[in-house]
Amino acid sequence: MEKGLARHYTLWCNVAMDQLTDVLIAISHPTRRAIIGQLANGPARFLDVAKQFDTALNAVTKHLKLLERAGLIKRRKQGREVLISFRGEPLREVAGWMHEYERFWNERLDQFEQYFKDKKKKEKKQ
Amino acid sequence: MTKSTKALEFRFERTIPASPDEVYDAWLNPKIPGNPWNAADKLILNPKVDGFFYWTFKGTPHYGRFTEVERPSRIQHTWMSPNTLGEESTVTVAFQKRGEDTLMTLVHSDLPDDDKARSHENGWNYFLDLFPKQFGDASRASR
Repeated sequence: MEKGLARHYTLWCNVAMDQLTDVLIAISHPTRRAIIGQLANGPARFLDVAKQFDTALNAVTKHLKLLERAGLIKRRKQGREVLISFRGEPLREVAGWMHEYERFWNERLDQFEQYFKDKKKKEKKQ
Repeated sequence: MTKSTKALEFRFERTIPASPDEVYDAWLNPKIPGNPWNAADKLILNPKVDGFFYWTFKGTPHYGRFTEVERPSRIQHTWMSPNTLGEESTVTVAFQKRGEDTLMTLVHSDLPDDDKARSHENGWNYFLDLFPKQFGDASRASR
């Protein structure tokens, strides 16, 4: 059995649903998507994030907590300030989960095609 | 279980350097690498109309019933697994002669698109639009 296929398939079957749920909840709200859009351009301070929105600071804090729980942002101290930056990996994992059928068939078909290519090469040599 | 009113579909194409007869036969031969049966830990395969298949991969069972078996042009069967959320999806494989080669088209359709799947798709489209550079491999289009 091919190790690559087994790995993908195992990921497919055993994917961490809780994290997926957190990520999907995180990107389900327009404000949080706007925050992600802003942070995708580079890290920002809390007040820089908050000033984009006509909403209470407390509400922005809650949005950031949900994004942090989903692993979509991280905070790091820089001197006296806290910088918030975007992490794309959880979104890639969601994308991978969504398309495992696509991956599965692509891998099967790639291997099937290669089998015939190899067979043809052998026939030419003979 | 109520069947989803909407469904997802994936389509794949490959040009195989062999005749449709050879490719068709190879697709149903569990000894040939690349067909789904070759990946099975345990396999029961009866490729005739209304014949069933059962195979497990890493302990995950898959079931299906062949609905079209037309050598050398077309195979269609249903496909159920825990990943179809208990619903019947459909796999259709067509083999068309292209000179000395065969154009093989595989369509996996009727994949359940319930609210959960839909939310995943929305997420996928959303971040594909927003962050195209970050999803090199994951955004690979089906050929």
